[in-house]
Amino acid sequence: MLYTISIKYFLILSTLMFFSGVAGFIIRKNLITILMSVELMLNAVNINFLVFNRYLYPDQLQGHFFSLFIVAIAAAEASVAIALIINIYRRFNTIMVNKVDEMKY
Amino acid sequence: MYDFSQLTQAIHLFLVQHLNSSSVAIVELVLVGLLFLTMYAILGLTLVYMERKVCAFIQNRLGPNRVGPLGLLQTVADLIKLLFKELLMVKKADKFLFNLAPFIVVIASMMTIGALPFAKGFQAIDLNIGLFYIISITSLGVLGILLAGWSSNSKYSLLGALRSGAQIISYELSVSLSLLSIIMFTGSMQLSVIVESQANGWWIFKGHIPVFISFLIFLIASTAETNRGPFDIAEAESELTAGFHTEYSGIKFAFFFLAEYMNMFLSAALAATVFLGGWMPFHVSGFEGLNQVMDFIPPIVWFFGKTFTLIYVIMLFKWTFPRLRVDQLLTLEWKYLLPINLVNTIVIAFVVVMGWYF
Amino acid sequence: MNFHETFFILLAAIIMIFSVLVVTTDKILRAATYLLFVLLATAGLYYWLQYEFMAAVQVALYAGGIVVLIVFSVLLTHQIHHKLVSITLTRKLLAFGIAGLGALVSIVTIVNYDFNTAPAEAMKVDVRQIGLHLVNTGHNGFALPFEVVSILLLAALIGAITIAKKEESNSDNI
Repeated sequence: MLYTISIKYFLILSTLMFFSGVAGFIIRKNLITILMSVELMLNAVNINFLVFNRYLYPDQLQGHFFSLFIVAIAAAEASVAIALIINIYRRFNTIMVNKVDEMKY
Repeated sequence: MYDFSQLTQAIHLFLVQHLNSSSVAIVELVLVGLLFLTMYAILGLTLVYMERKVCAFIQNRLGPNRVGPLGLLQTVADLIKLLFKELLMVKKADKFLFNLAPFIVVIASMMTIGALPFAKGFQAIDLNIGLFYIISITSLGVLGILLAGWSSNSKYSLLGALRSGAQIISYELSVSLSLLSIIMFTGSMQLSVIVESQANGWWIFKGHIPVFISFLIFLIASTAETNRGPFDIAEAESELTAGFHTEYSGIKFAFFFLAEYMNMFLSAALAATVFLGGWMPFHVSGFEGLNQVMDFIPPIVWFFGKTFTLIYVIMLFKWTFPRLRVDQLLTLEWKYLLPINLVNTIVIAFVVVMGWYF
Repeated sequence: MNFHETFFILLAAIIMIFSVLVVTTDKILRAATYLLFVLLATAGLYYWLQYEFMAAVQVALYAGGIVVLIVFSVLLTHQIHHKLVSITLTRKLLAFGIAGLGALVSIVTIVNYDFNTAPAEAMKVDVRQIGLHLVNTGHNGFALPFEVVSILLLAALIGAITIAKKEESNSDNI
């Protein structure tokens, strides 16, 4: 019953998600929204890993564990990024990337 | 003896005979949804009534006693009043998020109820990751609180939301770690398996000292996670008027109120299921006569008995202890509960490996 | 179209609509909320694929962890009347042009590639299985990445605390 939907629909879905993340990464100038776009891209990759695992190699768990580790790394990345954002806000009073351009303040 | 799965099986067979497979799924979803919604509402009303009576008992008052016998209809009257109240909208509030926030809180608390085993076979869905599912869904509720605080464009709400966010994120760790102890004992996250594993004694007796420590930590941490007194700094009336739901009125306020009580019910029910055997009667291995007698009491009575006892204890917390300050609250979690919990987890791993439990 | 497929189409529609909205809305907290919807729908997709554990991890870590962190930092750095700066049309066109081109190339490749979905029987993914794989050092074991990730998380924890810690104010040094 799982295979009534072709793998291609999943891949197109995750492609659209990934590239809306890319577009957001280019458009946005606010650090937090850039972080959100990065999360979208990571999430799209995660979907791909799980779908490949389920459709192409259902007798193994490699993709499952890969996406598990990606989630863990995304959590670490987000926590460090937000610590940085808060520190930047404290020093520059803004988190727009085009205003945070001084190495020395 | 009392097996709900026979009843559900009979209903399922009846539906399969008369409808095709898609309609069966839809009809069953609607039935389960209606059942759980009704139960949710009734439990909410009961808990509000109970809170008032317990509060009155501690403060030497009578509590509600005018509407209906013993004031039983008081909460129903309050509900009708809340339904008819005007829904105020704050100027310059973010309308979409302002309206969305109470629903996130209610849906998060509603979704967890489905995974609880109320009796044998009386469980909406028996996931093989049941306990983890409940932990993950309860972590969504805080988002509703944060959104409510930010979108209502009020300083009190923002402060309340920030406090509540810091509090819930911290105490979630202790809740999950203390539940981890039982997962280590049973080797499964499926709630029905956890309940079945307590047929010859509840974990709080079988696992003795380490499990008792995690039970106490769970009770404290889950009280804090549900924003209840003495940990209710998020809505401290004397400082923040009502914290994150200051700007809400009518039925949206009632949603926050209801969700708080249902979260309390959830943590009590989870503690009852995981540590005190859920619907499993009180059994002592070796005493067959006692076990037989205990089996005569229906499991649903056992479940609600244990849950409401724990709810009573949590309510006593609220009306006994003074409110903690923010720094005291975070100190309690990060300097005491979390280290104790981590050490306790290692001890339990050792106990499980050595087989030093009953 | 049966129940199963309807569910997939619903989830896919939610993901598509809201992932575009995440990058186009002009209110920052709404973007965070739409991101929450995307992540929850993704968790639903994992559940649909019968990876229940991954779905719960997704809800607990992404929706309950990362989005809460993002919302928290929004609360600390923005007021409600803030709007994101409007973007120039050329930049918008550039971004969507690049993204659309990339998406087009990928989708054409996906549609034309012949995936070999001759499925073996599906493996039951229960928690015990996952745990055994994670601490297994032999074939199909993931003990090393598991340990590396735990070290990484510890490093991130300490790093985040060190970065975000308030520095000693100058008045104390005098």
